[in-house]
Amino acid sequence: MKNRLLQKLLRPLALLGVGIGGSSMLSAEPLRIAYSDWPGWVAWEIGIQKGWFAEEGVDVEFLWFDYVASMDAYAAGQVDAVTVTNGDMLVTGATGKPSVAILINDISNGNDMIVARPGIETIADLEGKTIGVEEGFVCHLLLLKGLESVGLSADDVTIINTPTEETPQVLASGAVDAIGAWQPNSGQALRSVADSTPVYTSADVPGLIYDLLVVDPATLEDRRDDWMAVVRVWYRIVDYLMDDDNFDEALAILANRVQVSPEEYEALFFGTKILTLEQALEAWEPGEGLDSVFGSSDVVNAFNVSNGVYDELLDVENYFDPSLVREFAESLEE
Amino acid sequence: MPKNKVPWFAVRQDLSGRRQSLLALLSFALPIGLWCLVSYVPSIWHPDVRLHISAEREGSSTVYTPGNHLGKDHFQRFVQTIREQNLEIQRYWRGEQEVTEPPRMVRRSNQRVLRQIGRFAVANGWLERDERQDDEKLFEIWRGLAEGELRGREQRLTEENLEILRANWAWLEEMETFSAAALPAIPLQQLLPQGRPANPVFLPNPHDVVLSWWDLFSEEPTGEGKTLRERLGYSLRIVFSGFLLSCLIGLPLGVLCGTYNLFSRLFEPFVDFFRYMPAPVFSTLLVAIFGAHDAPKIALIFVGTFFQMVLVIAKTTRLLDRSLLEAAQTLGAKNRHLVLKVIVPGVMPNVYNDLRILLGWAWTWLVIAELIGVKAGLTEFIETQGRWRNFDLVFPVIITIGLIGFATDQLLAFLRRFLFPWEPKGYRLSLNWLTEGHRKE
Repeated sequence: MKNRLLQKLLRPLALLGVGIGGSSMLSAEPLRIAYSDWPGWVAWEIGIQKGWFAEEGVDVEFLWFDYVASMDAYAAGQVDAVTVTNGDMLVTGATGKPSVAILINDISNGNDMIVARPGIETIADLEGKTIGVEEGFVCHLLLLKGLESVGLSADDVTIINTPTEETPQVLASGAVDAIGAWQPNSGQALRSVADSTPVYTSADVPGLIYDLLVVDPATLEDRRDDWMAVVRVWYRIVDYLMDDDNFDEALAILANRVQVSPEEYEALFFGTKILTLEQALEAWEPGEGLDSVFGSSDVVNAFNVSNGVYDELLDVENYFDPSLVREFAESLEE
Repeated sequence: MPKNKVPWFAVRQDLSGRRQSLLALLSFALPIGLWCLVSYVPSIWHPDVRLHISAEREGSSTVYTPGNHLGKDHFQRFVQTIREQNLEIQRYWRGEQEVTEPPRMVRRSNQRVLRQIGRFAVANGWLERDERQDDEKLFEIWRGLAEGELRGREQRLTEENLEILRANWAWLEEMETFSAAALPAIPLQQLLPQGRPANPVFLPNPHDVVLSWWDLFSEEPTGEGKTLRERLGYSLRIVFSGFLLSCLIGLPLGVLCGTYNLFSRLFEPFVDFFRYMPAPVFSTLLVAIFGAHDAPKIALIFVGTFFQMVLVIAKTTRLLDRSLLEAAQTLGAKNRHLVLKVIVPGVMPNVYNDLRILLGWAWTWLVIAELIGVKAGLTEFIETQGRWRNFDLVFPVIITIGLIGFATDQLLAFLRRFLFPWEPKGYRLSLNWLTEGHRKE
């Protein structure tokens, strides 16, 4: 209410040519989706550029954010949906914002990394060292998993809370011994510090990090058809990406969004495993291990509690709604 | 007065106009000259190598592309690694070793070998910038290089690379014209990385900055992303929206506070308290209230300038010569007339100068404002490019902002004369350093 009122008050200024808020305020509400620089989410850009959302009959507005800022915007109700990892969805959920994942974009397959300065060769070498990661979020989880794999824990390292986008500079500055980041930030870190190495990556624990489209349950209820259209667009994007002939064009679109060169993007693209519809349907099956998005989230859930990210186990099942993807798959069979 | 009478070192005396102008020019020429010196004399500094041909190291997650800077030692090791990889590759061709990778992947990496010369070809003017991945054209350039028809003016291939290129060409030329499917399913040798000595990325060469300035500002809209001119327009809109909004309320309020003790007591203590809270601390709050687009940005600039404005203008108003008021009263002016006919015209010239300073503040807040909510405008560009260490793109933007601020201020200083003809001098903030000296003569 308050929001509307203020916008109304400001509107005359916009009409005076001062220009506040742009035209979007005046038209019918599009679905607002916050997305960020992870390759699996940048892929949405293909649908945007090609006008597939309009073709599928849904009005969307994609808003480009830094990752944590995108979650903040979602938690503040500024957007209807956000692109996050399964672990971070739970973290956001634990703060009281209800969320439900309707789409699995990909599995991180190496693009999330712990990058260490020269001289540190393995994750075990990190004992007693200082590490810059964004606390409570996906790379923190990866780091703790990595430490756990060699019998270390969070107490054995010093963590400095660092925004992921800043990690390359922070590593280059020498203020930390290692950083946690995803591509293209991790690649930039590797490039800016000669002989730095990834000591642990998501390829070491495939299935730990699922990348999702998470929507506000209220908008899912009100506008399910619109979200179905978004699901249809996503699988058009996946089909497009799976076709080798489109590869160069796809790289150009993706690279342009994050302002790196296509050459560079090609090198990092396979660290994100985009799931085909079949693979996604398998991941949507309930199961215990990391092959299922439910199993993976159970692992993360338990992990978050034991590491004090939040206090009580969450009811993971409530955070997923595979029905849209299943419905889409059925519609193809008909 | 005869010219050049004042010696160069004269305590508290103005130099002649010509000398003042000369010094003013030098104040720009010196730093720029120093920059050129450090950039163009290779024996000074130049610790890095700037790549114009890069290569891929197997099993390494670190990818270098042309334009990246590497330390000299690191570069040598990089070249050595590729050399060793090439030795391995030669064994495939001699049949001493079987290729295990799927043909599809090998063809793709061979396509990348072909593209290794993309930027190199652009630098030599054989390709347009957007043709770096045009394989047909690249193929013809390979032919030209292998047959010795193309040599390169700006950059040349080393002898070692020419040999590799010719060896590869022996396998490629059968294709006649390029076809991705017809590329050999055995890996080709990669060209060795090449580059030239360079300063660290944060100190690009002056001509690179000028060239990228030209490229950035002459870019035509393509629909993909925003051009820099669009961004500049956006940033100007945000700054001036915030600033005008602030003037709309701040100006009258400031004058009222300076005129009536009632308003001064009613508003100034709170305003004084509020201005101590730095504007950026409100950023998340503003996003929550106004959404993520333009409104919170404008609001931040408003918060950053408004409170200062009220106080500054109230103070300026109070400084108005009391005798002017007394004179008017003697002539029978009443309350309303005093405000509109004496105070407002009396303080306006000085208020105008205050506003020029406050406009500078607005620009300062812009840099923070554009980062809240959805990032936008020039700052987003600076942020992303800075993050990827493309400082040759960052400098032109920073300098542009400086130039705009400077030009606006000079323009306002110039207009002042025409806006307030009744004000002969007033205090002068303008840096009319070039003309100043001459005028005094």
